[in-house]
Amino acid sequence: MKKILVGFTTIAIAVIITIFTNGCYESKKVADKSGAQLWAENCTRCHNAPPPGEFSNENWDIVGTHMQVRANITGNDAKKIIDFLKSTNTQ
Amino acid sequence: MKKQILYVLLCCVSTGVFAQTSTSSGSNKFVVYGNAEATYTATKDESGFGDVNFKPIFLWKISDKLFAEAETEIETGGGSVDLGLEYANMCYIVNPYLMLHAGRFLPKFGAYRGRMGEAFINRFAADPVGFGDGGIGAMNETGVGALGGLPFGDIKINYDFYVSNGPQLLTDSANAGQFEYEAYTTNNKSSAVGGRLAVLPFANSSLEVAYSFQHKSKTGDAGTPYENVGVTMQAVDFNFLQNITPLSSTIKLLGELKHQKTGNATYYKDNGDAVNFNNVSTAYYICGTLRPSLADSKFLRNVEVAVRYSYFKRPADAPWGGDNLKQFEAALDYWLHWNDVVKFCYLKQKGSPAAFNAQIVFGF
Repeated sequence: MKKILVGFTTIAIAVIITIFTNGCYESKKVADKSGAQLWAENCTRCHNAPPPGEFSNENWDIVGTHMQVRANITGNDAKKIIDFLKSTNTQ
Repeated sequence: MKKQILYVLLCCVSTGVFAQTSTSSGSNKFVVYGNAEATYTATKDESGFGDVNFKPIFLWKISDKLFAEAETEIETGGGSVDLGLEYANMCYIVNPYLMLHAGRFLPKFGAYRGRMGEAFINRFAADPVGFGDGGIGAMNETGVGALGGLPFGDIKINYDFYVSNGPQLLTDSANAGQFEYEAYTTNNKSSAVGGRLAVLPFANSSLEVAYSFQHKSKTGDAGTPYENVGVTMQAVDFNFLQNITPLSSTIKLLGELKHQKTGNATYYKDNGDAVNFNNVSTAYYICGTLRPSLADSKFLRNVEVAVRYSYFKRPADAPWGGDNLKQFEAALDYWLHWNDVVKFCYLKQKGSPAAFNAQIVFGF
C-alpha cells in the first residue's frame, strides 16, 4: 500500500511541477478547435449541452468558470466555449 | 430546522432579485441555478411518492482569479426534511491549467458520486448498489486541493489532488466498520490524501478513463482503540460517447469499479459479543444508453433508453454486510429540456421485489 501511496504522490507532484516548469502543448488539430466544437465535446461528456440562450452573457462567465472546476476544462477551452455561447446567445 | 429551511428559501428568493448580474465597480458576479426532483415508487407491496429533493447552487465570480461555489441540499428521502451543505468551495485560478481550492468540496473519486449520479445526469431514478447511501467511496470532503486539465498533443489529462479530513470510522453495533463520508469536522489528527487522474486519449474527448485513490491512516475517533484503523480506497471509471450515424443515435457507455479496504478491528454487539471480519468491499456498475439524437423527429430526439447492471460485494460477517447485492435497472427517459427529464424505470434487485420508479427532474 505504501508503494501505491508513494507512487500516486510522486505522480501528483510530477504533474504539478510539469505545469509550472514546462507548461502544456496542444496539437494543431486540438488548438484549432472552435468554441462550438469544444462546447459540444466537453458538455456532453457528462450532460446534455445547454443551448446558448440558457443564460445571459454575464451569467455564462460565471457558469463557465463553475464548469472549469467541475469538469477540469482548461482556461483556454473555457474561454473559447464562453465566447461561442455569448456570440450565439439570443437572450 | 424550520429556521434553516426559511433561511435557504430566503436566499433563493433573494437570488431572484439579484440574479441579474452586475459588473459595476465594487460588485461581484452572482448567479444561482440547480435542480429539483420528485420520485414515485411502486412495488407489489406498496406504492407512493417518496424522495423530493431541492438543490440550489450558488455561484460567485469574484474576479478573474477568484471564484466561489456552494450547493445546499434539502432532501426528504429519510422520512423527514434534511438540510445539508453539499459543498462550499473557494477557488483560486493560478493559470489556465491549475486551480487551487479550499473548503468543503466534491472530491473526484470515481465519477458517479457528485457527477454522473446527479439527477439531471443520471438516466435512472435510483443509484447503483454500492454507490448511493450505504455504499463505499469518498463522497464529500473538507480540505484543500489542486485540479485542472493538461493538454499533451491530441491527449488531455485531467487531474485532481487533495488533502482532506477524510472519512470517519463508525463503531456503533449496527454500523461497525462503516464510515461517515460526509462529516463536517475532523475526528483525529490524521488527514486523507487522495486524487483522480483521467486520460482522454482521443482528440474529440469521446473517451475518458480514470484512476482514483484515497488513503487515510487513522479513521477512528482520537483516543479510542479504533483511532489507528486505516482505510484505502481505489476506483477506476470510464465514460465513452459516440454518434452512430446508421442508427441516427448517440450511444453512451460508462462504468466504475470501486474497492475499499479497511484495517482490522474488533467491534462489539449490543450484548457485548465481539465481532471480527475482513472489512473489504467492492462495487461496480456498467451502463449503456441510446438516444436517437440525430433523428428527424423531435419527439424521437428527446427519447433515451438506458440499461444498467450493478454489483456490491460486502463483508459477509459485518453487521451491515451479508449477501452480495446485484441490481438490474432499465429506463425510458424523455427529455423536456437539456436538464429537465422524466424517467420511467424498472428495477430488479436480488432479494427484493421488482420496483417501478418514475422520476421528474427540473433544472433551473
